[in-house]
Amino acid sequence: MRCVEVLGIQLILLTMGLFGLSFTGVGIDYIRQVVSHSGPGPAVAPVHFLRMSLPAGMRPMEVLSILGGMILLLSCCRAFLNYVYAIKVNVLVQQKLVVDLRAEIYDKLQRLSFRFFDANTTGSIITRVTGDVQSVRMFVDQVLIQSVIMVISLTVYAIYMASLSPGLTLACLATTPVLWILSATFSRKIQPEYAENRNLVENMVQYLAESIQGVAVVKSFGREKENQEKFEKLNRSVLSQQYKIFWWVSLFSPTAGFLTRINTTVLLSYGGYLVATDRLPLGAGLVVFAGLLDQFAGQVNNVATIVNSVQQSLIGARRVFEILDAKIEVKTAAEAVRRPKLEGAVRFEDVSFEYGKQDPVLHDITLEVKPGECVAILGATGSGKSVLMGLIPRFYDVSKGRLLIDGVDVRHMHLDDLRRNIGTVFQESFLFSNTVAANIAFGHPDATQAQIEKAARIAAAHEFILGLPKGYETVLGESGNSLSGGQRQRLAIARAVLLEPAILLLDDPTAAIDSETEHEIFEALDRAIEGRTTFIVAHRLSTLRRADLIIVLENGRIVQRGTHSELIKVPGPYLHVANLQLVDGRELQEPTGGVSP
Amino acid sequence: MSDMDRNRAVLVHRIRDEDDDEEQFKPLEWGLVRRMLGYSRPVRGKLITMFILTAIRAAQLPALVWVTALVIKGPIAHKDVRGILLGTAGYLALAVVTDFMFHFRQRYALEIGETVVNGMRSDIFDKTLRQPMSFFHRMKLGRILSRVTSDVEAVRVGIQDVGFVSAIQAGQMFFAGVVLAVSDWKMFLVVVCMAPVLWLVNNHFRMKFSRLTRAAQESFSRVTATLAESVNGIRVTQGFVRQETNAGLFRSLLSDHSRYNIALARSSAVLAPILELNSQFFVATLLVVGGWRIFHGSLQADDLIMYFLMANIFFSPITIIGNQYNQGLLAMASAERIFRLIDTQPDWVDSPDAKELPNPRKAEGSAPIAGAKVEFRNVSFGYDPKRLVLQDVNFTAEPGQTIALVGHTGSGKSSIINLVSKFYLPTYGEILVDGREIRSITGRSLHAQMGTVQQQNFLFSGSVLDNVLLSRPEATREDVIEAARKLDCTDMLAELPNGLDTIVGERGSGLSVGQRQLVCFIRAMLPDPRIVILDEATSSIDAMTEARLQRALALLLKERTSFVVAHRLSTIRGADLVLVLDQGRVIERGTHPELLARGGHYAALYKQFVQVDDRR
Repeated sequence: MRCVEVLGIQLILLTMGLFGLSFTGVGIDYIRQVVSHSGPGPAVAPVHFLRMSLPAGMRPMEVLSILGGMILLLSCCRAFLNYVYAIKVNVLVQQKLVVDLRAEIYDKLQRLSFRFFDANTTGSIITRVTGDVQSVRMFVDQVLIQSVIMVISLTVYAIYMASLSPGLTLACLATTPVLWILSATFSRKIQPEYAENRNLVENMVQYLAESIQGVAVVKSFGREKENQEKFEKLNRSVLSQQYKIFWWVSLFSPTAGFLTRINTTVLLSYGGYLVATDRLPLGAGLVVFAGLLDQFAGQVNNVATIVNSVQQSLIGARRVFEILDAKIEVKTAAEAVRRPKLEGAVRFEDVSFEYGKQDPVLHDITLEVKPGECVAILGATGSGKSVLMGLIPRFYDVSKGRLLIDGVDVRHMHLDDLRRNIGTVFQESFLFSNTVAANIAFGHPDATQAQIEKAARIAAAHEFILGLPKGYETVLGESGNSLSGGQRQRLAIARAVLLEPAILLLDDPTAAIDSETEHEIFEALDRAIEGRTTFIVAHRLSTLRRADLIIVLENGRIVQRGTHSELIKVPGPYLHVANLQLVDGRELQEPTGGVSP
Repeated sequence: MSDMDRNRAVLVHRIRDEDDDEEQFKPLEWGLVRRMLGYSRPVRGKLITMFILTAIRAAQLPALVWVTALVIKGPIAHKDVRGILLGTAGYLALAVVTDFMFHFRQRYALEIGETVVNGMRSDIFDKTLRQPMSFFHRMKLGRILSRVTSDVEAVRVGIQDVGFVSAIQAGQMFFAGVVLAVSDWKMFLVVVCMAPVLWLVNNHFRMKFSRLTRAAQESFSRVTATLAESVNGIRVTQGFVRQETNAGLFRSLLSDHSRYNIALARSSAVLAPILELNSQFFVATLLVVGGWRIFHGSLQADDLIMYFLMANIFFSPITIIGNQYNQGLLAMASAERIFRLIDTQPDWVDSPDAKELPNPRKAEGSAPIAGAKVEFRNVSFGYDPKRLVLQDVNFTAEPGQTIALVGHTGSGKSSIINLVSKFYLPTYGEILVDGREIRSITGRSLHAQMGTVQQQNFLFSGSVLDNVLLSRPEATREDVIEAARKLDCTDMLAELPNGLDTIVGERGSGLSVGQRQLVCFIRAMLPDPRIVILDEATSSIDAMTEARLQRALALLLKERTSFVVAHRLSTIRGADLVLVLDQGRVIERGTHPELLARGGHYAALYKQFVQVDDRR
């Protein structure tokens, strides 16, 4: 509907413009006629304009004033309509299209399963919401609307010009196809060059960024000079490639400019000849024609822009729709079981998991955990620990077998209920650039200050939070408000326990913390684990020992299971790891006379 | 409570940047212009040619229209067919010359712009990299990046367009003005009256555009910041079922951004019609006033046609120059920011009489030398001299010794290794390397004998080989393999998908933490350094890899003087000297057994460590 409205306005604008131009031409002719008949009087031959003849009885100045008034009136209307038109198009495109599309993508992104984020980099996802949406906008704005406008106006101009003089119209427009071919060729020629240029510039900027991020490395090996040379080389390559582009651009635009001048030449010679032989009026004919030709050329130039935009915007649009059409792999089943409060009994029955067609990440995992038990998982990088934990809140769905919580297959449970009952602490605690309170209350934005503080106390974070410049209202990430790894992890624990979840997932929570501050979070962990079914990925004996059950993963299979005291007695990977760490323990306890393990 | 609610109503707080407070426009300043043009020295000839081409083009454009007008009002109006042909031939000739010259005028302008931009980028990189570490402590990467991207682009527009285009347009206006005034100066006065109005209206709106554009950009940066964190934190969001809340917050950010865009569109929707109305108003006036004067015989009817054609040539430059002027102001502000970065004085540079630190290992035939001697004498240091983070540190590392630095975060461990690396200079006291004051040694020669492994295990994007060669670019592939062999970890190297040619992503992505650390070890080993600096990674690596790395580490430290910020028990146990730091002071020193036996601070720290293992 809006599109029709927009086009209607455009058509009216066009007609008004033509009338305005014609009035000017008529005015000129009128003046010339009055003058050539030397002296005012009714002897003036009527000047015809669109079958209307000017009233003969009027005084010349009155006629001119009327014409002038008409031109002004028309242009006022045009100005107003133009304004309305611009606003309408922008509201349509900027407010409706772009906002809706971005919001829709964002919403979709929030729901897509982890596989999607494993497969796409942050950068490319962000470009899709920002840049590629702009491309879609460009498609609607510049391609769809503009090309329709262009077709309409070119047709109207051509018809009007032909009505003045078909021969002159043909002669003047003869260069147009040449210009089109030229633009298309140029565009095809220059596109890859521009693409390469973007790459070169990106490389250069990335090199600069890396050199500064890694400046300590550069300096510690004294490689400033080599880096400068490399940068210089990248910088130079941008320059020389640009020079090539400049050559083409500077070849194209003068040629295109020259083509329009040929039009003027044709107009002057052929049109002049027509005027001289009295087959065309000077004002309403030639001058009007010159004006039209000018606007025609303006529209023709748009063709090149539109052709360029089509390609770019289609690529962008495809990337946008890729996200919108991406399948949400994990979602609540149609008739889901509602369980607002879970007990925390977890059962893996012959669970396997694989990414696409690749080798399975997990093989036939069978495991039963009673409410309140603590399971520690030990394994090397890539053994499937994180995936195993990710299956519980359905970050991924099992490929084979099933996973039961409180006796219900997780795929049949309402997703929100399931996840609200699970608290997760990730390997590297991601905190948002927001206040401490907002971060802790992330899963429950309406939490009261008392609830937040309670969670913080459990996570042994209350004290250090009070020590921050603005306490709970301190914004993280602002200069000077950076937290240590241990502090961040304790906030993440507070965030997880605020929900009072029945199940707690701890993915190697001490990974990003140095060992001097590691003990800070053990107290927090102990209190958080209390009374909840817990899965914890760990490497250190200190953590492994406190588990009710330890499972050792190797290449996606459980190779050992049992308690610490059981596993320490049998040869196997667990004993091997334990020995590596116990060497430390035993030696250090001797001088202080500590208890032997 | 209301404050809290407000904070919850956003997902991400936008962190203010110093750049937010920078001025956006800056008045034209001759000194800056000259300095910018100074960068065009490599294409000096083109610059001079450009001045000539600009002057010629300023005359050519109005001349073309003038010839058109002459042909219409002369031969065509008087039906002189031969005159028409001659006139158009003249027009065509002029057109050929004009467009031929335009090729050079355009190409040279672009090339000059690119040359200037190129030179500036080089200078920024060069000057920035020469800054001591304290500079990078203060300056955010984003700010430097915006200098080499957006600011440099603004300067490019300033160089390639503003001056030349304005000159051409001004010339065109002048030329058209002369033609009009000569043919009828009274009519010309009517034309001139409208010029200032046009100028003022245009500039008012352009300024408004810039302000709105900036506001729109700012709101957009909020959108992208939120988006980036949303994507990075997607696991948290889904884990805590926050999808809907987040989507609502994001939508309100989007409508905020679109509000600015609409405001921007609204003012341009006002400006464009006003400009057009103005020219139509002019046409109507010409028609009435000109007609009146013609009827009174004071103007030739044919001259009116010329007025219609030439008036446009007279008016169009006003808006163009106005826009260019704005661009010029933007370019000035950008140039000033760039030059401020380039001109930033380094806090310190190597003193001119600093000498190279001789490398005894390079001397032929000498026996292997076990590292350098490093001595701290009453060293105090603060990143900000008023707030010392190290106080009165004294110790001597004999050649070949391993010094372990132990203490809580912020106790001064990193400051000590920063000083040994000569990243910073001591505020008080002195540091001696092989008996020579560190200030009298060139940084480059010192670093050439130093192998450093940093905590983040930073790798550049490129191949593993490229990354290793960073420490000794002239080394061969065989040298690298030899270094790996000395660390007894050729097998780990072989486990990489493509061995030494494995491609590392940005910031080491694609390699595991253990593999990254291994590459850093080999990189430090390659130049056969006398001093090794090691900030142990805090992130835990799985136990098997850890054990392998420990062995490699021991081999790396062998027969070298080393400084280790230690997080691993085994490293501390192997050290010849453990310095226990607390709030910038060395509170205990000795070997591991000595310190334990003393039962002081270290022993307590240690117990805590052990207890972790023994709770339960």
